[in-house]
Amino acid sequence: MTTGTLRLRKGSAVLSENGSLLGLVVLVVALTLLSGDFLTVTNLLNVGVQAAVTAILAFGQTYVIITSGIDLSVGAVAALSAVVLAWTATSHGMAWPLATGFALIVGIACGLVNGVLITYGKLPPFIATLAMQGVARGLGLVISQGSPIALPDSVSHLGDTIGSYLPVPVIVMLVMGVITAVVLNRTYSGRAMYAIGGNEEAARLSGIKVTRQKLITYALAGGFAAVAGIVLASRLASAQPQAAAGYELDAIAAVVIGGASLSGGKGKALGTFVGALILAVLRNGLNLLSVSAFWQQVVIGVVIALAVLLDTLRRRQAR
Amino acid sequence: MTEEILRVRGLRKRFPGVVALDGVDFDLRPGEVHVLLGENGAGKSTLIKMLSGAYHPDEGQIFVDGREAAIRTAEDAQRHGVATIYQEFNLVPQLTVAENLMLGRPPRRFGIVDKKAMYRHARELLDRVGVDADPRAPLESLGIARMQMVEIAKALGLRARVLIMDEPTAVLTTSEVERLFAIVRQLKRQGVAIVFITHHLEEIAQIGDRVTVLRDGASVAEVPADTPEDELVRLMVGRSIEQQYPRERSTQGAPLLEVRNLTREGVFEDVSFEVRAGEVVGLAGLVGAGRTEVVRAIFGADPYDSGEVLVDGRPLPRGKVTAAMEAGLGLVPEDRKGQGLVLGASIRENLGLVTMRRATKAGFVDRAGQAKAAARVAEQLGVRMSGLGQEVRTLSGGNQQKVVIGKWLLADAKVLILDEPTRGIDVGAKVEIYQLINSLTAGGHAVLMISSDLPEVLGMSDRVLVMARGRLTGELSAAEATQDSVMALAVGELEETA
Amino acid sequence: MQFTKPAAIAAAGAVLALGLTACNNGGSSSSGGGGGDVKLGLSVSTLNNPYFVQFRQGAEAEAKKEGVKITTTDAQNDASQQVNQVQNFASQSMKAIIINPVDSSAAAPAVKAADRSKIPVIAADRGVNGATVAQTVASDNVAGGKLAAQELGKALGGKGKVAVLQGTAGTSAANDRQKGFEEGIKAFPGIQVVAQQPADFDRTKGLDVMTNIAQAHSDITGVFAANDEMALGAIKALGAKAGKQIKIVGFDGTPDGLKAIQAGTLTADVAQQPVLLGQMAVQAAVKAAKGDKIDATVAVPVKVATKDNVAQFTNGS
Repeated sequence: MTTGTLRLRKGSAVLSENGSLLGLVVLVVALTLLSGDFLTVTNLLNVGVQAAVTAILAFGQTYVIITSGIDLSVGAVAALSAVVLAWTATSHGMAWPLATGFALIVGIACGLVNGVLITYGKLPPFIATLAMQGVARGLGLVISQGSPIALPDSVSHLGDTIGSYLPVPVIVMLVMGVITAVVLNRTYSGRAMYAIGGNEEAARLSGIKVTRQKLITYALAGGFAAVAGIVLASRLASAQPQAAAGYELDAIAAVVIGGASLSGGKGKALGTFVGALILAVLRNGLNLLSVSAFWQQVVIGVVIALAVLLDTLRRRQAR
Repeated sequence: MTEEILRVRGLRKRFPGVVALDGVDFDLRPGEVHVLLGENGAGKSTLIKMLSGAYHPDEGQIFVDGREAAIRTAEDAQRHGVATIYQEFNLVPQLTVAENLMLGRPPRRFGIVDKKAMYRHARELLDRVGVDADPRAPLESLGIARMQMVEIAKALGLRARVLIMDEPTAVLTTSEVERLFAIVRQLKRQGVAIVFITHHLEEIAQIGDRVTVLRDGASVAEVPADTPEDELVRLMVGRSIEQQYPRERSTQGAPLLEVRNLTREGVFEDVSFEVRAGEVVGLAGLVGAGRTEVVRAIFGADPYDSGEVLVDGRPLPRGKVTAAMEAGLGLVPEDRKGQGLVLGASIRENLGLVTMRRATKAGFVDRAGQAKAAARVAEQLGVRMSGLGQEVRTLSGGNQQKVVIGKWLLADAKVLILDEPTRGIDVGAKVEIYQLINSLTAGGHAVLMISSDLPEVLGMSDRVLVMARGRLTGELSAAEATQDSVMALAVGELEETA
Repeated sequence: MQFTKPAAIAAAGAVLALGLTACNNGGSSSSGGGGGDVKLGLSVSTLNNPYFVQFRQGAEAEAKKEGVKITTTDAQNDASQQVNQVQNFASQSMKAIIINPVDSSAAAPAVKAADRSKIPVIAADRGVNGATVAQTVASDNVAGGKLAAQELGKALGGKGKVAVLQGTAGTSAANDRQKGFEEGIKAFPGIQVVAQQPADFDRTKGLDVMTNIAQAHSDITGVFAANDEMALGAIKALGAKAGKQIKIVGFDGTPDGLKAIQAGTLTADVAQQPVLLGQMAVQAAVKAAKGDKIDATVAVPVKVATKDNVAQFTNGS
């Protein structure tokens, strides 16, 4: 009886975890049938490259959403980090590893400021990160004078391929995904994020230092945003202050499609990855099928709603 | 036969991995109080959720006035005149009493809320349940007892003929319970049929007419309300419980927890006591006497203004939960769901919350070790579950409480502070928790227990401290402590200063 | 007593932030010696786009030359914010207002408000629907689209398959350029448009969408991108083929776009002249402020930049 029910639970857990994966499979099958160009190695690598920036932002967002927070600043922080990278590497002639490190620090610092506003300042995450969105976007414009800054070749190699067809952005995305899975599953901070998002007071009374863990959470989101910004800029070989506008919403959508709950305590790296892939596959497929500009937005909206609905229904059934 | 207002036949409900209801028969006549009795997890909540439209039965029928009724939604239930008063009220604290009474259906004139009519109607409803509350006052300014009365009045406003009350007395003081019973009797006279759920066996004879006992999802007996308590317990747990409070004294050692002149202005003042190894100290008093505030301050969850807390002779810094934990304190909070558990997380996760820090090396948690430890303690506590991965949300109250206690057992807390450890827990699980307290003190640990359940305080404590109005008003040895002596101390100061 | 300290810090922070912003404003408003009493207000739709950054530079340079004061605000692509800014200009008693509308229709209430205060309004780059302005100065997007089609047709020798990267769906620039391109390409019956996809005037999206189109249509030989940002993304996507096997025509003539012309990756660029647009808008505003009569519409010429004539564009900006 117990082993039977145990197996049943495990089975339903795998299913509910893979609700979004099922959606992705359906999408891939449909596109394969509709377009002969979809299921090719090069196209799938393209999808991977196109998913990379959103996925990396979404991995960072996953930490925040698990703690039942939200980070609206990640797109702007990504752009700011990219601008800082290009600016230090060109105007200040910094060697690229140094410039990259500097850009990462800027991202982490933005995240820490978010964290401080939220923990010590007691601002709601929505407001604190909305403010940061404005500040980061604005600083990016100030530094760049509103114009794109070309990246030196040394840095833009990050957007190329290793060998002839292994794209660096895809590798970076996978590495960040593995880091996220490890952080969430294995580290103290990751486990604390789930506890804080599930019940902050219970976490505090169990000895978890909520303030410190939230600072770590937002710093991680900021750091991931910086990585996304670096990948974005290196793909274009140019850092643009207006880049990644609205990407925070794509990132949030990816996390939620991946099965996380905006009320916190739930979320997985794999789910987020699948969520980001769904968005990228969809955009790629719409291009391949030459769907008109106006309908594309409709389709994307409907698919986001469907993906989350599928997951919700699945969970409700499991109740 | 036709006089039954509600009849339920052969209800079954299965959830993934659990059969929650397995053939329940139940009926209800106008003007009676029908008590539903059963341990947590026996199926009471599932049954009333079906009657109120929150769950749908897999099998079985519900008849209202002799006709089969499909209650699929809360609106269906309302249409059939069935109202439910849950432990967590369906009220909006920020709105006024009157707005709550007419939530979703305020009287309107020309599409605009007619406030005059609303207050008049609210007054009538409040009078019907005999509550003295201003309809214009925000609900949150009322105490919990009066909020409950508002909830009852709201149900009456919806012309409820069947009133389901889920443990209405769990949060009330003795005098408030008396008030509630008076109202229930008045409703009976008006012909309202009442389903009453309680864990307090002594209340059954006072208020009930008939009792249906549920066990493991099935109705096992229907007996008159004057059935002796031990017979009811036997029906509930399927065996007889020898002793309700099986306290075994242990040899006492050195003081483990010392509290000296602890003061938080306006909340509690000059609280001093000690708890020795092997000792259970009960902290009694009325709700609002400051007991919870004192233990939260001791544990570092809240600040205090002056005084000192020592564990094992070493002073604790103020307001630092982690320091208190490291020194060997553990707190099982009063609000189990709100403060004790991460409801959406698994049993394994919850059990490991406190020990997670210790099981971390270089930032990485030893999850395999954590899981092993969790399995061991869950086994030791006899947590009834489908597996360690089960969400604690889906556990019964008693099993949830075992999980909260379990995380401190894993942490090997030297001094365990239990705040209302058995509130809302059935008899069987209560005894298991008492036995756990015994084994803790036998192992040289100390227990400080807050409880509003006087028989429990008297039955389990080696020493009883009594608080009133933020001060310790007395200390009684187990021999001296009686209901009367404790109550005298708990209300004495109150009358003096009032 | 306890909360006064953070409050004071917050207040100090606010004052500091305002001070910094004020300094910046001081920096961007230029004043000359003579006509210091003429004050102009300029509301730019967004400075989040190099094109409008150049437009602003042209306007401010011209104001300096004419010796008038100019105050620039950024509506951040928010039409309602723009209305507020124009209303503020009216109450600051500006002599003339230049509006670069976020949205042609939504700008009408702002223009009417200025009208009531008898302040002439010059619309720049985009027109205003539903209210009269003293002058509309704009590049002709339809003509530009047509010109782009001609250039692409010429470069392809009148035959081949082409893809179009469209601007943000629903904007007038995207619509007009598309319309002009469709008209112009009709002159080349040998050219077939095989894909038209939106990339929202964004470089990253241009890159992604071009990659995807190339996947489905490996045989394209030409691309029209409705702005340079998308064209640069397409160049990135097509790699070594850009400018060689596949000819790309962009639109706007931004510095990065012109650099690509020099590099040979961009075949032709329909150059709007944002600097000139800014200069002409200010000239019109100054005239209007003095009460001179001005024409209702002025078209800023669009020019085609190719490798042969690119030098004259780069020197200009």
